[in-house]
Amino acid sequence: MNYNWDFASVFDNWWALAVGLQGTLRLFAVCLILGMSLGLLVALGRRAHAKPVRWASTAFVEFFRNTPVLVQILWFYYALPILLPVEISPFMAAILGISLNSAAYSAEIFRGGIQSIEPGQWEAARAIGMSGLQTMRRVVLPQAVRRIIPSLTNRGVEIFKMTTLASVVAYVELLQQGKLVASLNFNPLEVYTVVAALFLIILYPIVRATYGLERRLARSD
Amino acid sequence: MYEWNFAPVFAESGLLLAGFRNTLILTATALSGGLVVGLLLAFARLSHRRWLRLPADLVIEVFRTTPPLVQLFWFYFGLPIVLSVEMTPFMAAGLTFTIQSGAFFAEIFRAGIVSIEKGQWEAARAIGMGHNQLMRRIILPQAVKRMFPSMMERSIELMKTTTLVATVSYADLLFQANELAQKTFRPLEVYTVVALIYFVSISCVSFFAARLEKRFARTGEFSV
Repeated sequence: MNYNWDFASVFDNWWALAVGLQGTLRLFAVCLILGMSLGLLVALGRRAHAKPVRWASTAFVEFFRNTPVLVQILWFYYALPILLPVEISPFMAAILGISLNSAAYSAEIFRGGIQSIEPGQWEAARAIGMSGLQTMRRVVLPQAVRRIIPSLTNRGVEIFKMTTLASVVAYVELLQQGKLVASLNFNPLEVYTVVAALFLIILYPIVRATYGLERRLARSD
Repeated sequence: MYEWNFAPVFAESGLLLAGFRNTLILTATALSGGLVVGLLLAFARLSHRRWLRLPADLVIEVFRTTPPLVQLFWFYFGLPIVLSVEMTPFMAAGLTFTIQSGAFFAEIFRAGIVSIEKGQWEAARAIGMGHNQLMRRIILPQAVKRMFPSMMERSIELMKTTTLVATVSYADLLFQANELAQKTFRPLEVYTVVALIYFVSISCVSFFAARLEKRFARTGEFSV
């Protein structure tokens, strides 16, 4: 148990990890925006009057929630280019897999939020002459989003953690760069400890903030 | 237009079947280990003793806020150096996913235990039960029913997370798929079949979980 930890060899390569972190943040930002907005669309799709739209949205949610993200990423990376005449970069494959997966999860969160709004709100909005879309945008969604902010934040944290899966298709992100540094310096223990610590430092404050937010919302409702 | 051809995939279905078996073995190992670890962590977190509470808090928070793939790499490539032991992919994955799902289960257990009304604790104390008796006979049986939906959700998450072991060459379903895709040059068919295998098996589990939940709800002892 008297192993000599040597973090110097990790910090000598800090630029490699910095490049990785940049890649992680880029992938996270794209997937967060795409995942959340597509999630809202799918949630609205599940409430649509047209049966095919409702059916397709439900199928989308069920399929992406009931298969592993890693399988989805690999499918988009290796299988999709065979079907379509397109080049899929590791970045694209990771975006497709992670965004669609998160869209399915956040659709369920949005749906729950919208359903939680009392029928009286809908009736009142109709009574003053608002259309369905207007009611959704001006009355229901603003209230629903407030209630689901903690769940959406949790989803965001999950997305951040999921970005590491992009290393499997060799997208340059934090873990991928960690692997590189570890193979150059033979110091996997220190490198992966540092990588884990970086994720903890970035995500823990957000997680703590959600705890506080949940308590505040529980009191105010 | 691409012509789908599943024949080469089905010709090697034994390979995928063996992978699926390994996925189930790993899931079962991590699930049973995770439940035990989770219960212990939950008790430690609810304990009055600081030296029990603080380490449990630390384990739970660290394993919930770091990516599972980083944890797996740490246990597979890093830990053997500290302990100077040989680590097989199965051991590393079993250990990682046991502790990781344990951290998530701990929060579910804790929420369930805390959700039991004060009157139940007081009544059990009033008729002279000790802490262990009260926990085992009064609190846990009621708490487990309330926790059931979150437990099932977490177990399904665990099964999906096990695909990560393919990256450290444990022959799970996804790893076998990678091999097969290279062997047959049919990645489209292979990954489609594998996605469907996961989809069907996970959908079956969710379906039965939903039916059980309804049954609990009918007996009136179940509420979220």
